[in-house]
Amino acid sequence: MKRPVELTVNGVLYKLEIEPRRTLLEVIREIIGLTGTKRGCDRGNCGSCTVIMDQKPIASCLVLAVEAHGKNITTIEGVADHGHLHPLQEAFLEHGAIQCGFCTPGMVMSAKALIDNNQAPLESEIKEAISGNLCRCGGYARIVKAIASVKAKS
Amino acid sequence: MTYIRRLPSFEYVSASTVKEACAVLSNNKGKVKILAGGTDLLVQMKERKVVPEYVIGLKQISGLNKIEENGKAGLRIGTLVTHHEIARSPQMQENFTCLAKACEKIGTPQVRNLGTIGGNLCNAGPSADSAPALLALGAVLTLQTGRGERQVPLEKFFTGPFSTILEEDELLTFITIPHLKGKSGSAYHYLTKRTAVDETLVGAAAALSLKAGDDVCEDVKIGLCSVAPTPIRALKAESKLKGKKLTDGLIEEASRIASGESRPRSWAEYRRDMVAVMVKRAVTEAWHRAAANKKGSGK
Amino acid sequence: MNKSDLKDYAVVGKPIRRVDGPAKVTGKATYAGDLLLPGTLHGKILRSPYAHARILNIDYSRAMKLHGVRAVVTGRDFPGVRYGFMPQTRDQLPMATDKVKHYGEAVAAVAAIDEDIAEEALDLIDVEYEELTPVLTIDDAMKEGAVIIHDHMDTNIAASSKMHFGDVEKGFKESDYIREEKFTTQRVSIGFIEPHAVIVNVDNSGNVLIQGSKQSPYITWRHFCRAMDLPLGKVRIINPYVGGGFSGKHEALDLDFAAAALSKKTGFPVKIVLSQDEVIAAFKQRHAKHVEIKIGMKKDGTLVACECKMIAEGGAYASVGPFNIVIFATSGLLLPYRMSHFKYEAHRVYTNKPWCGSVRGQSIPIARFAFESLFNMMIDDLGLDQLEVRKKNSILSGESTINKMTVGTAGMVEAIEKLGEMIGWDGRKKKKAPYRGIGIACSPQVSGARMGGHFGSSAVVKVDEDGGVCLIHGGTEIGQGCDTVLAQMAAEVIGVPVEEIRQMEEDSDVAVLEAGMFSSRCTFWAGHAVKRAAEDACQQLAEIAAPLLEASKDDIVFKNKTVFSRKNPGRAIAFIDLVRNAYYTKGQPIYGRGSYSASNIPMPDLKTGEGDVTNAWAFFAQAVEVEVDPETGRVKVLKSVCTRDVGRPINPMLLDAQLEGGTVFTSGQALYEECCFDEKGRPLQNSFLDYKMPTVMEAPENEHFDIITDDPNGPFGAKGAGEGSNGTTLAAIANAVEDAIGVRIKDLPITPEKILAILKQRR
Repeated sequence: MKRPVELTVNGVLYKLEIEPRRTLLEVIREIIGLTGTKRGCDRGNCGSCTVIMDQKPIASCLVLAVEAHGKNITTIEGVADHGHLHPLQEAFLEHGAIQCGFCTPGMVMSAKALIDNNQAPLESEIKEAISGNLCRCGGYARIVKAIASVKAKS
Repeated sequence: MTYIRRLPSFEYVSASTVKEACAVLSNNKGKVKILAGGTDLLVQMKERKVVPEYVIGLKQISGLNKIEENGKAGLRIGTLVTHHEIARSPQMQENFTCLAKACEKIGTPQVRNLGTIGGNLCNAGPSADSAPALLALGAVLTLQTGRGERQVPLEKFFTGPFSTILEEDELLTFITIPHLKGKSGSAYHYLTKRTAVDETLVGAAAALSLKAGDDVCEDVKIGLCSVAPTPIRALKAESKLKGKKLTDGLIEEASRIASGESRPRSWAEYRRDMVAVMVKRAVTEAWHRAAANKKGSGK
Repeated sequence: MNKSDLKDYAVVGKPIRRVDGPAKVTGKATYAGDLLLPGTLHGKILRSPYAHARILNIDYSRAMKLHGVRAVVTGRDFPGVRYGFMPQTRDQLPMATDKVKHYGEAVAAVAAIDEDIAEEALDLIDVEYEELTPVLTIDDAMKEGAVIIHDHMDTNIAASSKMHFGDVEKGFKESDYIREEKFTTQRVSIGFIEPHAVIVNVDNSGNVLIQGSKQSPYITWRHFCRAMDLPLGKVRIINPYVGGGFSGKHEALDLDFAAAALSKKTGFPVKIVLSQDEVIAAFKQRHAKHVEIKIGMKKDGTLVACECKMIAEGGAYASVGPFNIVIFATSGLLLPYRMSHFKYEAHRVYTNKPWCGSVRGQSIPIARFAFESLFNMMIDDLGLDQLEVRKKNSILSGESTINKMTVGTAGMVEAIEKLGEMIGWDGRKKKKAPYRGIGIACSPQVSGARMGGHFGSSAVVKVDEDGGVCLIHGGTEIGQGCDTVLAQMAAEVIGVPVEEIRQMEEDSDVAVLEAGMFSSRCTFWAGHAVKRAAEDACQQLAEIAAPLLEASKDDIVFKNKTVFSRKNPGRAIAFIDLVRNAYYTKGQPIYGRGSYSASNIPMPDLKTGEGDVTNAWAFFAQAVEVEVDPETGRVKVLKSVCTRDVGRPINPMLLDAQLEGGTVFTSGQALYEECCFDEKGRPLQNSFLDYKMPTVMEAPENEHFDIITDDPNGPFGAKGAGEGSNGTTLAAIANAVEDAIGVRIKDLPITPEKILAILKQRR
């Protein structure tokens, strides 16, 4: 049976009727239609589906949308401000921290959650923050540098 | 082996009190699953290992997501407190180091923000990292039903891989950790199977207290995970240390005893070897922490 | 690179941002799984629970009765034409018909109005199987009286290769020191994070539109049309962004065929997105290999002879296995060192496991692992210097190998020298820390092997009437950065900023597709074509500019959006004005064409292994530093230093990223990754929880250096390079571990248990 669920995604309030079986990832991608958040493994192992919920990075494939009722959610589409890239996004471009791009939204979300809460993270904290995001292209070193450069600027 | 699928259909019930949750459990025995953080349950459902008719959400129940002082009994952790909250709590890091460290190891950051301490215990995986830490800390669980509640030491909780003493209508609500007495310290050391973000191959937690002023071990508890069908205490290793003056040699001996107490099935020889290494590291660190503990922490 | 190597290029050779970056970093880049068409149905695939079984009957009547199910297809719904990479090894069908040959092989597919119903319907398809004995190992496959997997064959050997150059027996007689060792390497998963996905629409006239996650849409297109018995013109393939390929997304796959058959049956588009579970359990992996290798050298370390026997266990289908075993020798053993005698015998066998083909680096990583490991051991045995011996044997510019492969430019010696400098090689011997080790390895990299069938590249540069530039090429952006590198080349020629070059998704109706994204070929092959197309467009414009500038058309220069004569740079016209003049005054649209075929070299002889396979060889030297925990046996890769001769990197930042990534990727195979199966051939891993790949915590620090050789055969001097570090990393890590613990482990992965067992023995 569908249940009413209200989600604020990237500042926009969505009033939805959702089956309990739907994960937050499915709702974001298939019902709201924001496909920047990726489904990689659907088991919480790859980090591609990372979104920020209540200031924390979470695996959206492991959350029931009904349990996200009333929450504030930021997806990759909500990071840039009206076309102006976030300093993190600029840094990913500047440091060559993107290859195939499939892990990139999740990486950016994990990184954003970190620097939102920690203005000057240590390298070890940066690594810990993206330790749940797999990148098979293997571009980790550059991603770490990109995130560190944002900290250095701010 | 099954391929993961989308979640099966179920009825979702959001409980607002423990009593209500217990009522749903008791009225639908065998057909209900409790959703804490969801990081284990939802995967098991996607794998169709469990297909519940009802899923009870506990998030609306107040009090289950808090860490509170509970007088003489110690520190009371609600079942819904997340791994992240424990790992990042300054109080935990300082006074219950092994638990903070264990919770920092579980899953990934994205999972630690969802997964809960109660869920980790009730899932009862042999490799549950929080268990050895809580065993070392002497944790007691509060289990509630519509009929009342009982207090059970964690050591009595696990009955086998993925099974516990929980009755079908029973809910784990709180985990209480007594404060360590005197000059005390704890530590958790683990080895993962392959990469840094991986299932624990061997986990060892130690919590010990020293007689004030010297290196004599007044009390010690050692918890292990991933080396037996359930998380276990290394009781023989503990008695080797208890009441003795700690030395590297003694700890080494105790670690070998702990290794003998482990009963790993796969990767058995390597695992047993690693029990000794991890126990040695955990006890040594706990000892050093205790020795450096100036305030004596006795409350 | 040294300062003196800088050339006066505007964008070539510069570490500019990638052109696909903004779309990818904002979540706007669309991948196949993000696509929907009006009326899309969702498909799911039923897979075999057995590794080897006969299909006796499939009854899907119960599934058809489920509300929302629109169609079911089985292997019988296809023409029954086998496809594959080479005519002699066409062994694959869209879906199993009478027999399943590996766990997870597709036996039926469902289309329904949503994914949930499609999944539920799979449980309502009844398949009767008769289990057959599974063939799981090389021994199972090659023993006398072996169970034969393919009914159309009388052996489980899919392909063999034999080579003999010089006289290897004579070579060993002339050697002062000979050593022979066996190495084994394991199956590993490809591990891209984006699972296979496709959406197919078959319209009323039977025209097929495929949009999938395809690394090499050309290969998919050809395979698809053959197996569906359709002319190429009936099938259009448009490629969205690809979430990692690493050679796992070349061929047409069961989901492509299933979606097409289901779309044809229902009249609606059908989308199929696999779960990562299906990909890990049932799709392409790297071959497991047994390598016996024997090397003969002089006592001063001069390499004389090499003999190698290799068997590749490759699963149920041949895929590119037949190439794999040839490349193992030609690109993996015969370079980068000179040798006078070489003998090789290899077999590629079928088993009842998921099929294997190429994986990032093709077979070169395994060949280099075996060769550089044994070489390293022998250099130590003789008490010689690892770098000096490698330098001494390195091939030089202009030399040929014993099998008649010509090396144009070769900076191997310089790369090794620079590597020694960067890691402080001479100083470190004295102050080696316990349980720390450094390993060295070298590797060649082909600039796109020339193969049979379609292999040419082409490009079109369209200059709009307002000066905009549209670049149409057949390369596929799979993360390697081809769109950026090709735009840099076009921008350099035309003298416009990279941002003003437009590109589009690869579309078989618009571009001549590249033969595929493999063999580090795109920068070199498509690069040539793009450069020539841009030059052609400029040539057309130069003819119009010449009279306006009162100059010879051969002197016309395109730079900074202006056009002038190199003899009189002061007199310039704006590029836009020249283009307007072409369109409005001359009535001449500007449309440049370019192509490249490497037809100056003969086709390599796959039977004998003789002859050139490429027009340029790149060379890589790598040092890896590791630390071993003596109590746990755990290896940490601390640092990687890579020096390289890639001719001239078009975008050094993207190349650094790709090579660093190659090292991370390959370090997993060196240390822990392994696909395991039970005694019935069922995989023991089907998720990233069980199948562990390197995380950020495992990624080492990196340093790089470019030896610039400006290969005259390459576009702007560039050679193929993307897979270079894959060739060196396995061997470098193995050598580093030996350096750290003093013992050689010859079977991959080099796990903590293996290390600890050795350390315990020694204590």
